[in-house]
Amino acid sequence: MFKITLSPAERSYLHESLSCLSPIRPDARLNKQFRPLEATCSFLPGSNGSARIRMADGAECLASVKAKVVSLQLNNANSAQHLKNLIEVDLDINGIRDDSNLSSTIASSLKGSLVKHIPLEKLRLTHRYAFKLFIDIVVLSHSSVYPLTLLSLATYMALKSTKLPLLTSTVNDRDIEEQPMFSDDWESSLALFGDSSLSPPLLFVVAVVKDNIFIDPSPEEESVSENGICLTYANGKIISPLQTISLSPKDNTGINSAQILKAHALVKEIGPLVVKSLDEIVSDDSIKTIF
Amino acid sequence: MPPSTKRLNNGLSVTTKVFVRSRNGGATKIVREHYLRDDVACYSKLCDQCEYSLETTPVLSHVPFSTAKLTKHYLILDTNIVLNAIDLLEGSQALFDVIIPQTVLEEVRNRSYPIYTRLRGLSKADAKRLIVFHNEFCKNTFVARQKGETINDYNDRLIRKVGEYYNSHLSNYGVKVFLLTDDKDNLKKCKDEHILALSLREYLGQLPNSEDLLDTLPSAQDDLQVAEFKYAEYYSQSRLIAGVKSSVLFQGPMNVSSYDIFEGTINLPSIFPKPILVRGRQNMNRATNGDLVVVELLPKSQWVAPSNDIVDETTLGNADNEDNDLIISDQERRLLNKEARRAQMEDESKLQPSAKVVGVIRRRWRLFTGQLSPNTITTNTNALNSCLVTLSEKSMPAVRIKTRKANDLLNMRIVVAIDDWPGTSKHPEGHFVRTLGPIEDKDTEQEALLLEHDVEYRPFSKNVLDCLPKEGHEWIVPVDLSSDEQLKKRRDLRDKLVCSIDPPGCVDIDDALHARKLPNGNFEVGVHIADVTHFVKPATALDQEGASRSTSVYLVDKRIDMLPTLLGTDLCSLKPYVDRFSFSVIWELDEDANIINVDFMKSIIKSREAFSYQDAQDRIDDSSNNDELTQGMRSLLALSKKLKKKRMDAGALNLSSPEVKVHMDSETSDPGEVEIKKLLDTNSLVEEFMLLANISVARKIYDAFPQIAMLRRHAPPPSTNFEALNEMLHIRKGMTISVENSRALSDSLDRCVDKNDEYFNTLVRIMATRCMMAAEYFVSGNFSYQEFKHYGLAADIYTHFTSPIRRYCDVLAHRQLAAAIGYEPLHPIQRDKTKMDLIVKNMNRRHRNAQFAGRASIEYYVGQVIKNTESSQEGYIIKVFTNGIVVLVPNFGVESLIKLEDMGDESSGLFDEKEFKLSFNDKIGNKRELHVFDKVTVYMKSVLNEMTGKRKAVFLLK
Repeated sequence: MFKITLSPAERSYLHESLSCLSPIRPDARLNKQFRPLEATCSFLPGSNGSARIRMADGAECLASVKAKVVSLQLNNANSAQHLKNLIEVDLDINGIRDDSNLSSTIASSLKGSLVKHIPLEKLRLTHRYAFKLFIDIVVLSHSSVYPLTLLSLATYMALKSTKLPLLTSTVNDRDIEEQPMFSDDWESSLALFGDSSLSPPLLFVVAVVKDNIFIDPSPEEESVSENGICLTYANGKIISPLQTISLSPKDNTGINSAQILKAHALVKEIGPLVVKSLDEIVSDDSIKTIF
Repeated sequence: MPPSTKRLNNGLSVTTKVFVRSRNGGATKIVREHYLRDDVACYSKLCDQCEYSLETTPVLSHVPFSTAKLTKHYLILDTNIVLNAIDLLEGSQALFDVIIPQTVLEEVRNRSYPIYTRLRGLSKADAKRLIVFHNEFCKNTFVARQKGETINDYNDRLIRKVGEYYNSHLSNYGVKVFLLTDDKDNLKKCKDEHILALSLREYLGQLPNSEDLLDTLPSAQDDLQVAEFKYAEYYSQSRLIAGVKSSVLFQGPMNVSSYDIFEGTINLPSIFPKPILVRGRQNMNRATNGDLVVVELLPKSQWVAPSNDIVDETTLGNADNEDNDLIISDQERRLLNKEARRAQMEDESKLQPSAKVVGVIRRRWRLFTGQLSPNTITTNTNALNSCLVTLSEKSMPAVRIKTRKANDLLNMRIVVAIDDWPGTSKHPEGHFVRTLGPIEDKDTEQEALLLEHDVEYRPFSKNVLDCLPKEGHEWIVPVDLSSDEQLKKRRDLRDKLVCSIDPPGCVDIDDALHARKLPNGNFEVGVHIADVTHFVKPATALDQEGASRSTSVYLVDKRIDMLPTLLGTDLCSLKPYVDRFSFSVIWELDEDANIINVDFMKSIIKSREAFSYQDAQDRIDDSSNNDELTQGMRSLLALSKKLKKKRMDAGALNLSSPEVKVHMDSETSDPGEVEIKKLLDTNSLVEEFMLLANISVARKIYDAFPQIAMLRRHAPPPSTNFEALNEMLHIRKGMTISVENSRALSDSLDRCVDKNDEYFNTLVRIMATRCMMAAEYFVSGNFSYQEFKHYGLAADIYTHFTSPIRRYCDVLAHRQLAAAIGYEPLHPIQRDKTKMDLIVKNMNRRHRNAQFAGRASIEYYVGQVIKNTESSQEGYIIKVFTNGIVVLVPNFGVESLIKLEDMGDESSGLFDEKEFKLSFNDKIGNKRELHVFDKVTVYMKSVLNEMTGKRKAVFLLK
């Protein structure tokens, strides 16, 4: 995390230009435009799914999904509650302690939205056994105050590329226990999101300057922003959680409904495009760069 | 995405293999780097392109095998060929210049480890010119697995690639390379891809001696099978593993009853107090004796009592209980398990928890000897015949083989291998391996017997013989005892008056003794054991051979030695009048044979005389003979009697087995007469001091090596073993045997006396012996001290030390004792507990087999004697069935079954289970009642069993 030090004149200039009716970003991007980034999928051979995203400014994030067969406690009546435990998120942001407020908040909000959007029934193998997903995310370096967008993109791709070994033994072991057996062919394993209508959620952080909303704010933009909003996008909709965050140490000026609506519209507009390009990388391993 | 291949340097590149390993219910993605080289040699002597390192040379011949119909060719074998025709591959008639792709080797290893080791052995031998080609590491023959391709298809493709490569690689040298496979799909693909391929039948059909060769092939799979029977399918692997893990199913080795091939038991001592019963053809579900099986308890309504019938291959037609597809949940099964345990503990009825086999984990199929059942041969021509082979092992079912030579094989003792037991066949399917010779031929039967008991009887290899002293029979104890450091440590005991006492004609003299009265009134007693370890050094070929044979095997007219004869009968043998190295135990004993002091030493002795038991007895009894040697022997005898009394007081058992000896006509070596072994005082003289030496040595080596001491234990028998015998005794004679401890058992056996019948006590002892556990070797670290106990000898610790020429345990004990007294350190191999565990396991198995082989040999000869002398003999009924009785004839030490149909009217038979009584109308119409323990007169004659080709004593009740 770099400390951006701008002189008052620079700050003022930047703030003014971002507040215009037709704002001008320092790198001449449109407000809905991402900075260039490079993404790779399935690069960790030992994981069930993995992704790596690198931003032009050197920010980098790795995500890995590993699946392990666990036995379910059968006497637990609350099976929905139980299935939630099938997902574990571990987050490591370089330079921030694992148990810091920021880390744990991000991890828990990520897990919260993932539980709702991962087809949990697909993890279920038999009456007695299920896959448990261990999602490990490492942010190697980042420039943003809140590297949520970066790690959510990586997590999205890792999950999308996740494949689970194919069960070859019977599914019904309610009365007669069987030990699960799997096909030895990795190629025959099933994609977690294969034919699911669900899709992993994406979290976008936007910077708010006056009435303007900026996607993927650069550190400079963040430092002059009045507010930040984190929006969750999944399956063509904006869903909870939606929360305001502070991107700069500057006194925040509060947020109004117009700004939220604008942010909502922006993410709704770009969401499908982001999903489409990420999916393209997932489905074709040879593509590496987008945007 | 196909894995990319990356070039590392000249001739080496790397790719990756990705697969899922599912083990213990988990599913792990495994990624392996896979290296490819372009310099994997083809091993053909014709090829001048491939390069070899210094250690390797080409193997495949310059002048490959060819016939009129086939040009010069090499062969590539597919996995199915290796698995089905390993015997042919090992034989010297066909299949030369063989290329085994690495893929095949791996597949063979996964399918059958024994065949894998045989294949590996072949690749080391030169005769067959067999090589392993590492096709998966060769850049030219490696192909990546395709998406959605099953592992079998992939392996087939790898193997076809080898065929393609070899043919193009050797195209300039005028040699063809045929891929042999019996996989139809693979053959078809070969044709499509223009790869030379043949099925094994097609190939052998083009050889000159094809008739013979085709006969040794396993039955062709493609024959239309008529479903003569339908067995329940085995559960899936996943169900078996999970079931065994959660104690819903049980896993254990199957013990098939030798009276009824459809009755087996499975011992699960940790779960059930008594063995679980498996009865009936359906419930046995293709399990054969010794297989490791998984069973499932039957519902209580289907529990049965152990069979009182005699069922063998001749009396088939078992009423099987109806197949009912009840689904029982795991929960209910657990309740059932509890129920079963309770039933066994309380035992209110004869019904026993019964089970059915639901899976076979590991087959115990080896090569079996047997003979064709004549009544199953359908035609007289030389057409392909499907016939049954009755195996010598009584608890194995008959095996179906297909052969063209059925008529030639009739009345021959043959070796067969079992291949498979399909669910639709009543009998396991196998194939003919080789002929041993005509039935009843002495040499044939002997070889069959050795094969049947897995006794290694081939001559010692050159490697082993090279380990013997170069001087051969000329070897002598060095004259100058100070010439060598080790020699200096030996004690010179040549002044002691040592003698040996053995059975007459003994040439491998293990032990010798001496005794001397000391000035203080005590006795100095020495036991001197042949110093085998002086010649058998650890980690030599000789030592390994000894360890693998573990024991000498004594047949009636033949001895299969554990060590080469030079050692056994000369250099080690404590022959009289010459100096020999020995390992001595010398005690100071007081008048009452209490040990005052004990000392162990390597020594040199000179035996004064080698006595037979009888000679020694005569010399002791001859009061006119008063020389020092005889005096010593008398002291030994007196002390041994005191030792024996002490042992008996401590509760040592005096058990009995119907031991007989067969006298051979010295000229024709035909068996002449049978004699019951007589025991002289001198027998027990030697025995007592050997026991004493063994116990003293056991203490010493346990002291020195608490973890790895080689010991021998004899577990107390579980009281359940005696239940049946006790019930018989109680009901028939009003006697009981108590089994709380060996003392009680010994005393109660003494009380089992029938005033009218002297032999009765011995009979009970014989039957009690059969209820005992077998003694076993063990490594001290595996048990706690309390468990070391030798029940039969009433000793708290015991080992075998006194017969190193014929037992390997004694060799180990010698080495440990030598280390314990600081003579020479223990070899690292013998300090490794896991290695010792393996040796011990082998020793126990070989020992058992040797005993069985010895007994079988006696049984065979007794049969021959009876053949010559039919007579009436007295016998005792020892078991009563619903349709027959078992009679033991003490004079010949044989027992045999008399079926009800041979005694009288079968329909009049009435079996009283409670009273152990069988009543029936005999042939004349008189009513007869037979009880267990009844003394009966039987007419003994020997009959050649048409089914098994075994001559057996057959009794006719008089």
